[in-house]
Amino acid sequence: MSDATLDTAAEPGRRRSRMRHLWVLALIAAGLMIAGPLFLDRFTVNVLTRSMIFAILAVTVDLLWGFTGILTFGQAAFFGAGAYATAMVLTHLGSTPGLMVLGLVLSIVLPVLLAAAVGWLTFYPGSTDFYATVISLVVPIVVTQVIYSGGTWTGSSSGLVGYVGLDLSLGGFFRLAGLSLVAVVVVALIFVRSDAGRVLTAIRNNETRCAYLGISTQKVKIALTAVLAAVTGYAGFLYANASGVVAPENAGFVFGTQLVVWTALGGRGTVIGPALGAVAIDYLSAQLSGQMPFLWQLVIGTLFVAMIIFMPNGLAALATGWRRMRRGEDGFSPQLVALPPRAARVPADGDSPLLRIEKLEKSYGSQKVLEDITLQVRRGELVSLVGPNGAGKTTLMRCMTDGKAASGGTVRIHGTSISGMVPDQIVARGIGRKFQVASVFDSLTVAECLRMARVSHEAPSFLRSADSLSLPQAAIEILRLTGLDQHLGRAVSLLSHGQKQSLELAMVVSLEPELILLDEPTAGLTAAERATIGQVLMKLTSELGLAAILVEHDLDFVRDISSRIVVLHQGRLVLDGTVEEVVNDEIVKRIYSGGDHV
Amino acid sequence: MMAPPHSKESRQMTLLLDIITTAAILFIIATGLLTIFGVLKIINFAHGAWLTVGAYCAVAVGDLGWNPWAALPVAFVTGAALGGLTERFIVRPLYARPLDAILATWGLGIIIGQLITLGFGRDVQFTKALLPGTADVFGTSYSVYRLFALAAAIAIGLGFSWLMEGTRLGLSARAVIMNEALARALGLDTRRIRWVTFMIGCGLAALAGTLLTPLTSVDPNMGVAWLVGSFMLVMVAGQSFAALALACLLLGGAQVIVSTYVSPILGGITVAVLAAVVLRISPKGFSRV
Repeated sequence: MSDATLDTAAEPGRRRSRMRHLWVLALIAAGLMIAGPLFLDRFTVNVLTRSMIFAILAVTVDLLWGFTGILTFGQAAFFGAGAYATAMVLTHLGSTPGLMVLGLVLSIVLPVLLAAAVGWLTFYPGSTDFYATVISLVVPIVVTQVIYSGGTWTGSSSGLVGYVGLDLSLGGFFRLAGLSLVAVVVVALIFVRSDAGRVLTAIRNNETRCAYLGISTQKVKIALTAVLAAVTGYAGFLYANASGVVAPENAGFVFGTQLVVWTALGGRGTVIGPALGAVAIDYLSAQLSGQMPFLWQLVIGTLFVAMIIFMPNGLAALATGWRRMRRGEDGFSPQLVALPPRAARVPADGDSPLLRIEKLEKSYGSQKVLEDITLQVRRGELVSLVGPNGAGKTTLMRCMTDGKAASGGTVRIHGTSISGMVPDQIVARGIGRKFQVASVFDSLTVAECLRMARVSHEAPSFLRSADSLSLPQAAIEILRLTGLDQHLGRAVSLLSHGQKQSLELAMVVSLEPELILLDEPTAGLTAAERATIGQVLMKLTSELGLAAILVEHDLDFVRDISSRIVVLHQGRLVLDGTVEEVVNDEIVKRIYSGGDHV
Repeated sequence: MMAPPHSKESRQMTLLLDIITTAAILFIIATGLLTIFGVLKIINFAHGAWLTVGAYCAVAVGDLGWNPWAALPVAFVTGAALGGLTERFIVRPLYARPLDAILATWGLGIIIGQLITLGFGRDVQFTKALLPGTADVFGTSYSVYRLFALAAAIAIGLGFSWLMEGTRLGLSARAVIMNEALARALGLDTRRIRWVTFMIGCGLAALAGTLLTPLTSVDPNMGVAWLVGSFMLVMVAGQSFAALALACLLLGGAQVIVSTYVSPILGGITVAVLAAVVLRISPKGFSRV
């Protein structure tokens, strides 16, 4: 990326200065951490060391819950696993430098393995948010019980104490914990501001849409859980060394809930908020617990409840909200770059159909919603699927994009059956789907939404947010025709209904699919918007050779743009022909005039 | 577990009784949570706190020198009254944010725990046994109170089926469970149904806490230990009381067997682990029973 060409633009400049602020603040914070022990009393140094280790955990909770939407109490278990791994090595094997390194490695590797297993158990296609929370409760309980039943190995209920840790002074541990915290916060901030970090927000906003953009949300969540377990395990290593004692409570779910409380009070989704929240609350707890232990907990509990109800994004959100209000206008607009047209996935194999459906069936119990559907779609075709409400049109669309939806028959793409595949695998085979109700990411900007559509093609950067956005020419054209190219930095929540529909279409086209499925793309649009969409669709199919299947109620629209029309009625395919054939067909007239059953 | 094992038959009988009464106790503990989850689709994480409140009602009744049985209605009324306030001020704004509702009710649990600590101190308390002694069951002597718990579980189960199947409130609640929007469109006051349901759920939780007192010591954090178990059982059971009974019997039975033959510590996590596995294999749990 040549910076010189972009230097004139104000936006990248502002973003770079924001990065500079981050580094300056990080350096100041690091300086404070190093100088801290010089002017703080012993008690404060001791307490803050622990608070800052806990703050690292709060940051990991924030990435999982605040950014990705996974409410977890399980970080305590990974923390406990890391702390116990270290303490057990130091207690039973000894404290030579080599064993210390072993302790460090184990305190990271064990939690990662545990987290990978837990992630695999938790995140499967179709798993719910509740289930993730359930498992995150079970894991700390299991780890705690394992510690209890570990006998002399784990010290059972009294924990491990009296081992020789890292050879550091009180101030040394303070500096180590503090610098670790600063490093974790800086890395977390760089990550969440990067293009890769926006994927987490996209998953929280709309996991289904992510899957239908070809992103394996399960893999992302498992990887995130595992990586954060490594950080958490490292914090456990620090804790075991700094405190000189580990206890079963360190791994318990009550500690896990405490982490969530700190994160909520500090402000979820802000990284710095939870870190400050954890330090402040844990420090104040230590200060006040002598004088008014129960009253203090009462205050924290009350604040927490009030915060969840009235200010779900915490105190820090007030600050960011104010900053955004002051800045007012849109966020960053990247420069659009057209991608060269890409070669077809399967080399031109003549006329073989892209999509072949044979004897497809879908039933709920004894109720058959689709029966004996056989249909082929070739490149360049624009097939409209029409029929009265309840004919099974949307169900048919679902059966084409979810390998587990059909009850019988086969759906083949390029000759391969999609049976058993999950949406992101099917999308990877060249199918794009636009939903009936615009399915976009409300917390992202227009440009960020479009970038999500490209994630499955080009891995996003973990370090920075790119200054340009490469999209297929067709997607750029949709943006130009609908004027969205002027609002790339606008928050999606501010778009009109029609703009959201157009944005979703542009996202689907950005996937560079070979077959595109559209469920009522013109519903609720103005006549002008409708004409634009029609124009785009004709171009995609007739000029670029895509195939499209369109569910549509507006027969005039269908007549204008379709190359073929398929009529569905009561779950059966009653007619498949050219526009002329279908429009003049008696059966279709009867179905649409109502009453008569075929 | 309860009686000195005289013979192999007697040991087996004790095991069987342990399984059935453990399931009964789990059922009693979890009904309040299930009631609320079934109708409101909200996980009441203050459930443990309501159990504790019920237990302290028994302590308070004992301190006042009343008949220990008076604790049961006192606990139900106290739980229901506090539940009414909770629904109105904490849960109602959060129906659209179920994960936040978990957190807010957990926070409420912290508050209640601290208030109890301020009122009664943090020490462990004991209450008078409601039904001391043992009874002879087919030649095996067994704790009378655990047998009473079985009867209480059956009474609660039957009482609930009657409430759901035989009363107007039950009919309305079922309508809300099936299709809340439609129920509202048909003129049902769904807001009131939610409110009443939440009160009943909290009342039942407090009642369960009172029923627990002869079996366990009472302290301000006692509820937390029971919360996770009942939460897992409810997740497995979904919305059905029959499914809850089955889940309590199967998972509670597994807990007793593991505790008896393997280790009590592993027994303590049996319910949670099995529930997680069941949900992984069949995300709807036993709810189709």
